[in-house]
Amino acid sequence: MALIEFVDVGVSYRRRGGGETVALERTSLTIANGEFICIVGPSGCGKTTMLHCLDGLHTPTSGRILIDGREITAPGRDRAMVFQSASLMPWRTVVRNVTYGLELHGVPLREAIPRAQAMIELVGLVGFEDRHPGELSGGMQQRVNLARALVIDPEVILLDEPFAALDAQTRELMQTELLRVWDETKKTAVFITHQISEAVYLADRVVVMSARPGRVKAIVPVPIPRPRPASARRDPHMFEIESEVAALIDGMPTENVAV
Amino acid sequence: MTQLTQTSAGLVTDDIPLPRNPVERRGFFGSRRVTELISIIAGLALWEVAARFLIHNTAFLAPPSLVAVRAWQMIGDGTLLYNGWVSLQELIIGFVLGVVVGIAIGAAMVQWKLVDNALEVWISALYAAPIVALAPILIIWFGFGTSSKVAVVFIMVVFPMIISTQAGLESVDRRLLLVARSFCGSRWKTFRTVALPSAAPFIVSGMRQSVGRALVGVVVGELFGAKAGLGNVITTASSVFDMPTLFVAVVTLALAGVILTGILRSFELRLAAWRDVA
Repeated sequence: MALIEFVDVGVSYRRRGGGETVALERTSLTIANGEFICIVGPSGCGKTTMLHCLDGLHTPTSGRILIDGREITAPGRDRAMVFQSASLMPWRTVVRNVTYGLELHGVPLREAIPRAQAMIELVGLVGFEDRHPGELSGGMQQRVNLARALVIDPEVILLDEPFAALDAQTRELMQTELLRVWDETKKTAVFITHQISEAVYLADRVVVMSARPGRVKAIVPVPIPRPRPASARRDPHMFEIESEVAALIDGMPTENVAV
Repeated sequence: MTQLTQTSAGLVTDDIPLPRNPVERRGFFGSRRVTELISIIAGLALWEVAARFLIHNTAFLAPPSLVAVRAWQMIGDGTLLYNGWVSLQELIIGFVLGVVVGIAIGAAMVQWKLVDNALEVWISALYAAPIVALAPILIIWFGFGTSSKVAVVFIMVVFPMIISTQAGLESVDRRLLLVARSFCGSRWKTFRTVALPSAAPFIVSGMRQSVGRALVGVVVGELFGAKAGLGNVITTASSVFDMPTLFVAVVTLALAGVILTGILRSFELRLAAWRDVA
């Protein structure tokens, strides 16, 4: 059964001084339960807008987004977002940053802390529980960001270019780590990126967006078996799919698309 | 030399050969505590010399030795403690009220645009004005007792607290507000877990700056009419040219200012600890 459905979703912003910017135009997309979807496209293709609408942070101007047939109108406990900048509370320790979502949901700390501890183990941050975010590297901060989303045990996990600010090596390591964690939890995942190799390595299907106005240009399946260890990156099949996606993007303004 | 530097930096038990902060290691005269101590001693000596050999008249300037003797007497007969306690009570009640009301008004102004639009002009006018000039009116309204001084301290503290609370709440990282919203945070929980902690360093820094204003408020309030308190001691002493007693009161107030500011400063540093490493 389809878990997430975008039905003719359109988003437009009123520009300051009149006029409208169409961020997303009549977009339809169906995402299956437990599927890992990557949305890739140049900047300005409305991919972050799409994700924010799915989280309920933004209401579409037209169309509907459904989860299990229910329309999304606000943020809910069935979804959790991994933000682009780690967006951790600098005054909270690692463990209390991970418990943050649970605290907002009204889970008492004596229950939240053991759950956070388990998630900290899963993302490989044991020993750093009492550090503050300022003492962590960018990669470690993103692990906390991921743990904070996973600990609320959502049905859908939304990731907004979470590794964009990391250096190439850390980035590849984090991608492999993400797949390891995802293999254990099997959440439906929607991952935004502008990097084609990242999208192909992670996804079951890559959604290619075009810019101004943003719309779905093509959907490319990635039939490479899981689990995908780091060595799967050198699978020749992977290269073929990457160039297929790259060819789709080639016709567009490519300022922010990297292979 | 090394030992002295370590002592002055508070690293007596620290056996690590390399100092954590090389800037602190400037030898005997470079260390902060030693310089402070020397400065205090030199200032007192200068004061003593000026009072004994230049002015000669204790009605104009009392030397610190006489002030110390007088202080000892006033501690002995209980007048310093009694009057100090009266002033301290007024100070603390007025300060706490000013801080609490200031934070509440500042927060309301950030939360609701209407409140901001309605109050902004009044607050900037009253903050900038020499509001202590209202003290005589408050004495008339609230009488010679504690409540009029509490009122004076309150109006001295509340305006800087409103402004620092506002500044703190407006400095909140929008991305963190988005995190709270994504995790279904209610308005109140978002305020408590994101806005208030972000604003805390600003609020404590506003409190530290308000301490001086609060002390001025107490003394001015007592100058215009009081039955007791350090300001009252100053008025009484100056009317009979009793300089030693006057200085005892002034020095006590200065010490109170230093201690209260120090407490809030250490509080501020602890709150901002996560900022240093960030």
